[in-house]
Amino acid sequence: MVGKDCVAIACDLRLGNQSLGVANNFEKVFQLGHVFLGLTGLASDVLTVHENFRMKANLYKMREEREIEPESFANLVSSTLYERRFGPWFVGPIVAGINSKTGKPFICSFDFIGCPDFAKDFAVSGTASDQLYGMCESLYEPNLEPEDLFETISQALLNAADRDTLSGWGAAVYVITKDKVIKRYLKSRQD
Amino acid sequence: MTQPATLASDYSNEVAQEPIEHRFNPYTGIAGEDFAVLAGDTRNTSGYNINSRYDPRVFDVGDNLLLTANGFAADSAQLISVFKNQLEWYHFDHNKALSPQSAARFIQHLLYGKRFFPYYVYTILAGLDEEGKGAIYSFDPVGSYEREQCRAAGAASSLIMPFLDNQVNFKNQMDPASHGTEKRPLRYLSLEEVIQLVRDAFTSVTERHIQVGDGLEILIVTKDGVKTEYYPLKKD
Amino acid sequence: MNHDPFQWGKPLDSVYGPYNAKIAHATNKRTTNIKDVSDFPTMHTQQPMITGTSVISVRYQDGVVLAADNMGAYGSLMKLDDVERIVKVGKDTIVGISGDISDMQHLHRILDDLVVEDRYDMESDHLKANHVHEYLTRVLYNRRTKMDPLWNACIVAGFDEQGEVFLKYVDLLGVTYTSPALATGFGAHLAIPLLRKKADTDEDVKNLTKEDAVQLVKDCMKVLFYRDARSLDKYTLCVVEKSTKQIEIQKDVKCEDMKWGFAKDISGYGLPQL
Repeated sequence: MVGKDCVAIACDLRLGNQSLGVANNFEKVFQLGHVFLGLTGLASDVLTVHENFRMKANLYKMREEREIEPESFANLVSSTLYERRFGPWFVGPIVAGINSKTGKPFICSFDFIGCPDFAKDFAVSGTASDQLYGMCESLYEPNLEPEDLFETISQALLNAADRDTLSGWGAAVYVITKDKVIKRYLKSRQD
Repeated sequence: MTQPATLASDYSNEVAQEPIEHRFNPYTGIAGEDFAVLAGDTRNTSGYNINSRYDPRVFDVGDNLLLTANGFAADSAQLISVFKNQLEWYHFDHNKALSPQSAARFIQHLLYGKRFFPYYVYTILAGLDEEGKGAIYSFDPVGSYEREQCRAAGAASSLIMPFLDNQVNFKNQMDPASHGTEKRPLRYLSLEEVIQLVRDAFTSVTERHIQVGDGLEILIVTKDGVKTEYYPLKKD
Repeated sequence: MNHDPFQWGKPLDSVYGPYNAKIAHATNKRTTNIKDVSDFPTMHTQQPMITGTSVISVRYQDGVVLAADNMGAYGSLMKLDDVERIVKVGKDTIVGISGDISDMQHLHRILDDLVVEDRYDMESDHLKANHVHEYLTRVLYNRRTKMDPLWNACIVAGFDEQGEVFLKYVDLLGVTYTSPALATGFGAHLAIPLLRKKADTDEDVKNLTKEDAVQLVKDCMKVLFYRDARSLDKYTLCVVEKSTKQIEIQKDVKCEDMKWGFAKDISGYGLPQL
């Protein structure tokens, strides 16, 4: 979600095998430099794709002698996923971050073969995407201050996850501003 | 007079594949202290076609009851006309109004009566209970039902329902004064708040769901009877 | 030769002896011992055979214009080129029927029965368009519930008991709805967008004159003939008019001013740009 000079990205913590809950500490948002990558989908692919992008972001950093910017990273995600067009990674990525040069907030979501959606307001992914669309579309307003953005994204995620049997078991929320990142864990229904 | 068993498979089939057409518009019912509302989009669709932009599907069936059955349109029409007809017989037989809980149990029987060839509809009933409080009953296609404070059914129900949980039942909301230790206390919403909530829900859903977006018709039941309001949507 | 309807064409047992099913590995004995009607297989319409394509209709300030072409297609074959798919039922109703032609003829028959029954009471004609529509809905919904549908989509137009203009759709599933512009089949894809340009809301309907509505429907029939391979340039056009309480039926109307020249010079299906 995009706010005024800030972005927020959040995930639930459940790892499950179909209806069986396996772990309640499976975070799906990863930090790569000052870019944040959320990955939903097949857990093994989430881990592999994360490692893959961690490598690519580090190689980028060594070659360019600077951290990768969110916009470039989004294009990297898109092309990397499309490379596997006919044997895809089963992930639904979301990229969020603030451009360190311009200070502009940036978010982007993808389908599992890398079609990007450069949304201006919010992006969602995962099993509760319907519920998240409903929540975000009705709760979101533009230019929220970081604390208000935190409340909005948290309410959107929590209530959406509560109406999805496959999501929940706690949540993690990152609120990203130019000079700091605040990460909070949320308690939620444990069912 | 018996038929060889093979004949049935030789000559029937195929028709059975799709005896229904999907038409899932969102419907929302919310109960208040002394009122209940039942609202729905008026678009009628099949596949990607818009059949009609104004085909109201929330009905004032009499006795201060509102009823909608959403899903397969012909089953919905049938269920509602059977209900209306039986309601009239109830009046002849008992000479009194049908209460919402009796209506709900009756609808369960109508639906479960067709357990093995169900009415393909999600039903919501709204009315006022004997204390005059708003009552919403929601059903699945075979008649399981429950009284609730609010319910969304149909096309975009998965988009609307969590919003209603949050805004009507204050789910995941805390009392700010308690620093996250106390839940925000529940209270009844006013009619104005409820109508604004329903309008917000439908304008939001219009953005994200292709089967929604011609017009929002809200029926409001109070002790004084039923009122209807109509708000056009984007028609896109 | 055996003249029993279920044995028709077979050699007579009394002359040739009973049929030996083992000859030529003919294992299917069933055909030889069908004895009466109830042994005959129950048949369900699994797919339409000879079909009629779109019916289109639009409301205007003083009534409805409704049209349907005269073709009956058997797959891609033009089997029939002079079928009448708009049925008049009593004085106040017309029904445009698309889909299976034999089912249409069955509907025609039961609707005629309905008219006959209505006239037993000789005081006046009670059968109005809304009654015909409700009756059709009941018939079609019951047949789909029996898993034996009548494969049709119908548009009913006419007058109700208040003398108001009536226009409503019903199809093989028993689904009904109404709208200022209604069309079945291909018409729902090609004609509806054109009709809605002039008649999307009740407000538009109030401003649409008879002449414009007729021209609009004629244009739509032309577009349908251009683009729907199972359609004909000969059609029946009906106008339901409230002020005169008449239903005017024009048969054998032809598509006019068609352009079949080189495509480069044609835009917008050769229609005046709406």
